[in-house]
Amino acid sequence: MNWLVAIPLLPAIAFVGLIFLPRTWRNRTLWLPVGAMFGSLALSFVAFARVWPGGDALTSVRWDHPWMLGVIAGHPISLSLQMDAITAVMLVVISFVGTCVQVYSLAYMSKDEREGWYFAVLSLFTSAMLTLVLADNLLLVFAMWEMMGLCSYLLIGFWYELEAPRRASQKAFLTTRVGDLGFLFALAVIYVQPQHTWDITLVLGSVHSWAPGVATAVACGLLLAAMGKSAQVPLHVWLPDAMAGPTPASALIHAATMVAAGVYLVARTIDIFRAAPAVLMATLIIGAITALVGGVLACVQHDVKKVLAYSTISQLGLMFMALGAGSVMGAMFHLVTHAFFKSLLFLGAGVIIHSAHTQDMREMGGLRKHMPITWATVLIGSLALAGVVPFSGFFSKDEIISSLLAAHQYWAVAVVLLASGLTAFYMTRMYFRVFEGPEQTEHLHEGSPLMLMPMVALATITTFLGFGSVAFATFLGERGEWPAIPLVLASTAVAATGIGIGWWFYGRRSVVVNTQAYKRLFRPVYRALQEKLYFDHMYDRVFIWPYMALANVLAVFDRSAIDGVVNGVAKGWMLFSDSAAAFDRLIIDGAVNGLATLTKKTGTLLRSLQTGKLQGYQRLVLSAVVLFMLYLVIYVVVKGA
Amino acid sequence: MRVGVQAFLMLAAMLFALGLYGVLSKKATVQILMSLELMAIAVNINLVAMSRFVTPRTMDGWFFAVFSMVDSAAEIGLGLALVLAVFKRSNHSEVSDLSELKG
Repeated sequence: MNWLVAIPLLPAIAFVGLIFLPRTWRNRTLWLPVGAMFGSLALSFVAFARVWPGGDALTSVRWDHPWMLGVIAGHPISLSLQMDAITAVMLVVISFVGTCVQVYSLAYMSKDEREGWYFAVLSLFTSAMLTLVLADNLLLVFAMWEMMGLCSYLLIGFWYELEAPRRASQKAFLTTRVGDLGFLFALAVIYVQPQHTWDITLVLGSVHSWAPGVATAVACGLLLAAMGKSAQVPLHVWLPDAMAGPTPASALIHAATMVAAGVYLVARTIDIFRAAPAVLMATLIIGAITALVGGVLACVQHDVKKVLAYSTISQLGLMFMALGAGSVMGAMFHLVTHAFFKSLLFLGAGVIIHSAHTQDMREMGGLRKHMPITWATVLIGSLALAGVVPFSGFFSKDEIISSLLAAHQYWAVAVVLLASGLTAFYMTRMYFRVFEGPEQTEHLHEGSPLMLMPMVALATITTFLGFGSVAFATFLGERGEWPAIPLVLASTAVAATGIGIGWWFYGRRSVVVNTQAYKRLFRPVYRALQEKLYFDHMYDRVFIWPYMALANVLAVFDRSAIDGVVNGVAKGWMLFSDSAAAFDRLIIDGAVNGLATLTKKTGTLLRSLQTGKLQGYQRLVLSAVVLFMLYLVIYVVVKGA
Repeated sequence: MRVGVQAFLMLAAMLFALGLYGVLSKKATVQILMSLELMAIAVNINLVAMSRFVTPRTMDGWFFAVFSMVDSAAEIGLGLALVLAVFKRSNHSEVSDLSELKG
């Protein structure tokens, strides 16, 4: 047994420990999941330190027990954990964000009566993600992939008494399930290759020997899977709806787990994508579309969490663009920085929602004076997301732009810059709407220390992480460079433009811009944006309506044909049994009754003989004897004659 | 004159017919019993006559007649006891009134 196992095992143990407790006890043993997370975090740091100089796998933990895991077509399946630089980074990010979210949740969820269950699922979620990044086997990856699907379903639908979370959880589950089909397909194709294994190292090592087209097929499947999990257009529709869940859970889903899994999967299997340039290009294009769609849609949302959700979609699009350019480093670095500042923003949004008792930005304002720490940390997060110079988002975005430049995809660079501008705009909009302007709600208060501590920690990392970009690249085994000056100027200019426009619309004290007028001016565009670019409508029309129509047709068929047959059979049977009953009544009963009647009549007839008079009987006997003798005499006479 | 077996058989038949008539027509139970005795005597006469004329060397018929007479005596004893019991119960012994077994 290797100690690496303990990293995902601790939260899993916490989950198992919690679910078997009754609810009241469960709510009182929250030290168990939080403690387990701290344990995981410590072990993750140890693991990271062991890999630190960079490069290759540290340890492999293998369980070669084919009798335990099964044999497919004579090839035993073995599961194993492995640890390399990417895994080490992911471990630290996941366990750190997971710990922050759990500590935060102690305060955020303290009034919920199913708090213990929430923590149990949170632990399982983190455990699944930790196992996923440690797995050296695509089958294990897929199992954890599905486990996270289940956990996200449970967390999004945590308040299942309400309609919206219920529907959102189903939507998330079904939409990601579409992507999972791609994963299954890829798994099947990989396994029928000559080496018959799902071991990632072996698979990646044998990519070059695959038949032409196989790599493309596998990459397509994996891309579809990643698109579902990482909310890429057109499978992004579940992510904004997933905001119906508890806010810290959103932070976890958007930063450390779930959506990171898709990016991680592509980064892990990038060799397969490199063998299929067309799919790599598709990844780039899908990422670009997603980055723009997410950014544009974030601009028209009023719900503070939905702004962040669409911003996540947009940022994931940027990561996919980096992957499409073949740059694991760019994608992973943005994934890491994004994990920190997006979880920070979500936790901040949680504090804001707790305090303002609304999620609608139009009903907020002037929160800066009442919650200085939240204000400061969210401002850092927003600046990082907007890509302002010293913060981590700036460095990771520049890394993506550099990788796109290196791949000579200049249009993609333009897309990234545009998306960055949009990001800067909507984050400015959110900032001014929430923190500045007139106060609209009363009883505003700062969050509790338990909520603020994780935020401060995340904000600190967000502030300084960017300077580690070169070290990060070296750690991943690539050559890191500081951003080039023209690039810095360009992206800063874009960010400044976005912020400036945002300020012009929402931030100015002296003049209040009548946004309604602009909305009227660009009415068709605004409408389209408000309707989320009609993606949901399209799914309604293309999938749900035909499905319902088919269901209706089938229902009619069921009612008329199937029910008709069943009822017909029933009617026929009834007819038959009616006639059988008649037969029974008339013939069988008739025979029985007739016999009885006959017996009775005979009895009545015979009974008249029983006169009770002694001499009557004697006469009868006498007449019988006389008759008998008469017969004898006649018989004898006739015979004799 | 010599009396043949037919005379005895005729006597027996007449006695039997008399007895039968009595059994069928008399109301009083005692009379019926007496008529029954007549019939039994007719049978005994037959037995003795047959013994005397058909198998004179053996005494089978005689003995059988004696048994029959003893039997009749016992029968009469039983019959009279029944009559007394009936009389005790219903203060008469008319056979026509003993019709409780009417169907």
